[in-house]
Amino acid sequence: MAVNRRSAIKQLLFVSAGVAFLPACLQHTTRASLALKHIQVDGDQEKMLAELVETIIPATTTPGAKALSAHLFTLIMMDDCYKKEEQQQWLNGLKAFEQACKKLNGRSFLKSTPAQREALLTTMEAGWNNKDDMSFFYRTTKHLTIKAYTSSKYFLTNVDIYELVPARFKGCVPLKPTTRKIA
Amino acid sequence: MSNNNTSLQNRTFDAIVIGSGISGGWAAKEFTEKGLKTLVLERGRDVKHLKDYPTTSQFPWEFPHRGQVPQEIKAANPSISRCYAYKEDAMHFFVKDNDHPYGQPKPFDWIRGYQVGGKSLMWARQTQRWSDFDFEGPARDGFATDWPIRYKDIEPWYSYVEKFVGISGNKDGIPHLPDGEFLPPMELTCVENYFKDFVKANYKDRQVIYARCAHLTQPQQIHLDQGRGQCQKRDLCQRGCPFGGYFSSNSSTLPWAEKTGNLTLRPFSVVHSIIYDEQKGKATGVRVVDTNTREMMEYYANVIFVNAAAVNTNLILLNSTSHRFPNGLGNDSGVLGKYFAFHNYRGHISGQYEGFKDSTTDGRRPTSAYLPRFRNVMKQETDFLRGYAAGFSSGRGSHTDTNGFGKSLKEQLFNSQTDSAWFVGSHMMGETIPKEKSTVTLDANRKDEWGIPQINIDLDYDDNDEKMLKDFFEQMTEMYTKAGFTNISTGDSKQAPGLDIHEMGGVRMGLDPKTSMLNKWNQLHACTNVFVTDGACMTSTSTQNPSLTYMALTARAADYAVKQLKKGEI
Repeated sequence: MAVNRRSAIKQLLFVSAGVAFLPACLQHTTRASLALKHIQVDGDQEKMLAELVETIIPATTTPGAKALSAHLFTLIMMDDCYKKEEQQQWLNGLKAFEQACKKLNGRSFLKSTPAQREALLTTMEAGWNNKDDMSFFYRTTKHLTIKAYTSSKYFLTNVDIYELVPARFKGCVPLKPTTRKIA
Repeated sequence: MSNNNTSLQNRTFDAIVIGSGISGGWAAKEFTEKGLKTLVLERGRDVKHLKDYPTTSQFPWEFPHRGQVPQEIKAANPSISRCYAYKEDAMHFFVKDNDHPYGQPKPFDWIRGYQVGGKSLMWARQTQRWSDFDFEGPARDGFATDWPIRYKDIEPWYSYVEKFVGISGNKDGIPHLPDGEFLPPMELTCVENYFKDFVKANYKDRQVIYARCAHLTQPQQIHLDQGRGQCQKRDLCQRGCPFGGYFSSNSSTLPWAEKTGNLTLRPFSVVHSIIYDEQKGKATGVRVVDTNTREMMEYYANVIFVNAAAVNTNLILLNSTSHRFPNGLGNDSGVLGKYFAFHNYRGHISGQYEGFKDSTTDGRRPTSAYLPRFRNVMKQETDFLRGYAAGFSSGRGSHTDTNGFGKSLKEQLFNSQTDSAWFVGSHMMGETIPKEKSTVTLDANRKDEWGIPQINIDLDYDDNDEKMLKDFFEQMTEMYTKAGFTNISTGDSKQAPGLDIHEMGGVRMGLDPKTSMLNKWNQLHACTNVFVTDGACMTSTSTQNPSLTYMALTARAADYAVKQLKKGEI
């Protein structure tokens, strides 16, 4: 986890000089590990997000979304690549999501059991097209989680191999039946 | 000049080339090879081949936003953000909207690359020759003015540059898209070959061919001598190629020129104007603003090539005023900055093909198939002038079921499915008619940060473009339908002029000094030691991607200029 977070931080440093990081000595549980420019998320919300992405793509025999820092990628993308209104919608939705969790499970998402988390996500999937902020939050987070996962180094070197230098183009080759990959 | 420490001698050259892009690089190569001490002025920073391609070997996961441009940058730069290649991996090679503001009475997306190599770093590398059906177009169809050259004038120069650049292509034997000096083609897909055969069998006047492109599919000695190697089919060209697999000034002409020992490359040098000597009756040099020191300095030479890219070439000439030329250098006719034009890229069409279900492609291909112009070629046959070419590409896509969450979603992500059918798609490349009212002009009040008047670009689509767009939709839909393509859908991007990145004209060539700026050698009629060989020189636009023609015109003009210099004519 530490390694993955470090690499996410390295990437963040790479992209934006405007992003500052809190010194380790100032970090405590209520602060997020990333200082973001446009959206404010505290440490508990970041942890909740980590469990949410993990519920969307859980660890099995292969890594889950949390281990691939999909929650940090989600924060970076939300902070840098979305419009102000969308950021606000997402933040409102995040809070509404927490409340919905308490209502359904009687406790926060972080303290919920995996089964309780799944129960909440089942209701989110059922309300996929709802116009409210909570649905926007869920749709966007799920989209970014999938993006983070399928464009990660893990995925592109182990599952769907990305070739930087193909050195070939064949215009017509037999379409091989794909063997089922175990996720 | 007392305002700088460089001696007059150090600021005097045989030739000055303004701009280091695809045509400026060729001027530099030709002059230095022929022994001329040559100064190349580039307004932007230096970009050295291999060394200055920071993203070239990055994997997708190494881009913090996986290729996406951050929202703040997009919002601040609407024009450049509309460019297909302006993504996280290549955005450092594009000029931001406000780095050099311009006036656009009607929307114009001005896509620029201010750096050594210019846009040759990020170009789409398509290299189709013109024919006499293009050069004779304005005279036959009665628009613009007659070209002062014909195909036979430029033919040997096409061959000359093609051999050095390295063009991959087939000899197709098409009268209006002449064959050239080709390296082997890359493969077409089964669907492209099918469509090619279908069109050949069903349309006497239409062809589908492999698009000729500036890629080294089989490097020859001349390419190895440039330090370039075989195209590795990365299809990441816009980042700069670590193999030198495609042609750019950076990988080819500029290092070649440098090897002669005759090249002086000066980045961070914005040309303010060309100095005209009233006594001598010719240009003697250029005024340059050093963008680091903001100092204005002068450089001198016997011959000046203006290759600043179409809009900025117009700007420099318009700003080069003197007692003799109060309206801009060489502008006795008043046509400077007029008859500006572009390519109509608004139309696109897509569909599916249900055949070849057991086949797919393997690897990547940095080019496509191509339909040469088939409208109004041999004679006028529609209610609009000229015509369009079209790209054609196909592939076997895949899709991923993203429903649900948890283990089932993960299984789905690991097992994306090949699409049941092939996709097919085309985009139009339409000729537009250069009109007197389509202009680039200097703003009377606003100046840029170098003290140079701001340029205003004023042009729009016309009825001819709308009719042509409609015809593209009709003809392509008919061909797609007859070929058995399904789920056909057409779209009008309604994109502004400029986004085609094929802006041309304003300093057009012509036979008559009263109606044109340049003669058949790309020489200003009225100031014969100044040549313009970039997009600004174009009398008409035709449909082909224009860079190959700029390169050929440049090599031809440089050869002529050197001969004239030796004769003492200029």
